[in-house]
Amino acid sequence: MPSDKILIPEDIIREMIRHSREVYPEEACGILAGNADVVKGIYRMTNIEHSTVSYLMDSREQFRVMKDIREKGLEMIGIYHSHTFSEAYPSQKDINLAFYDVAYLIVSLATSEPVIKAYRILDQREVREMEILTARV
Amino acid sequence: MEFTEEQIQRYSRHIILSEVGGKGQKKLLSAKVFIVGAGGLGCPVGYYLTAAGVGTIGIIDNDTVELSNLQRQIAHSIHTLGIPKVESAKRTFEALNPDVRIVAIKDRITKENIIDLIKDYDIVVDGSDNFPTRYLVNDACVMLGKPLVSGAILRFEGQVTTILPGEGHCYRCLFEEPPPPGLVPSCQEAGVLGVLPGVVGALQATEVLKLILGKGEVLKNELLIYNALNTSFRKIKVKRNPHCPVCGDNPTIKELIDYSEGYCAIR
Repeated sequence: MPSDKILIPEDIIREMIRHSREVYPEEACGILAGNADVVKGIYRMTNIEHSTVSYLMDSREQFRVMKDIREKGLEMIGIYHSHTFSEAYPSQKDINLAFYDVAYLIVSLATSEPVIKAYRILDQREVREMEILTARV
Repeated sequence: MEFTEEQIQRYSRHIILSEVGGKGQKKLLSAKVFIVGAGGLGCPVGYYLTAAGVGTIGIIDNDTVELSNLQRQIAHSIHTLGIPKVESAKRTFEALNPDVRIVAIKDRITKENIIDLIKDYDIVVDGSDNFPTRYLVNDACVMLGKPLVSGAILRFEGQVTTILPGEGHCYRCLFEEPPPPGLVPSCQEAGVLGVLPGVVGALQATEVLKLILGKGEVLKNELLIYNALNTSFRKIKVKRNPHCPVCGDNPTIKELIDYSEGYCAIR
């Protein structure tokens, strides 16, 4: 059963926000690596569409990252992207193109304080919000 | 070993549990548990393990009791202000249950002494308040193959996990390196709700009892996160990392590391 929780260290949360702000108003995108429910690494990816309403990763860059993740004994457990003007909820396109059984994270910069939410998207149809835990105490 | 009449009375609520029974109680009485820290977590862990009749409890801490400890460190009192915490805890535990042998060690735990300190114990409980100690205890337990029940608290949030070297994850599989000094504040800097270590320490003590009794499920390959503000318990799945520097297939850490040197220099 896909997990309904994901643990993301605070520095990785901050990095997702920083990345999203840096490429604003374009959408940022990237990959989260980890094991089970725990995120351990973040990879910024290039949005080759350079769009304010969509993203597409560069496939060669993606292969390099996947190899690096495997070599570290980790797996891709999340994909993040930013929404420039809309809320932190998957668009219809996000849902239709959700091929992976990973957490889909959306950083919304539509409000003054950034909002991050995570979702499982089942069968490219059903959207279930996940709980994000940031703890490291 | 036969129970005395007094022991039968003292442990009667245990003995009637089918998962414990006389046999389990005898296991508890002959068990040896080592607790790192006699503070927020070490106090309730030691208190409950003493009450449960865990035969030998070693406890190490280098501090003395201060007034600011009494908001949460329940083994100490106004009568033990200024004396070593381990001595204060020993008095409290011995007053609760004279069956238990308390070995109080007033010292800092270091890479030089940790192996000798823990090697004769069955289970280690980490109730330390800093990352250098947490990683040192993890690495030493992995190297010796000792079960470790690790706990941590800050503000309103606590975490517990049980490390069974060779069977499941270790602390480095979860977080490979300690955070850089200053990134995660201490309780002294950020505060902690006084009752929080009571909850987390009681969870740690429960894990220890189950390990001794061989009953139930422990937090192997799991991290339990308790949030006192939301009253929520969340279990996170963790996996042993085959590339883990200490418990992986080709470990790169073969000697204990004292991270505290760097910590002190930067502060």
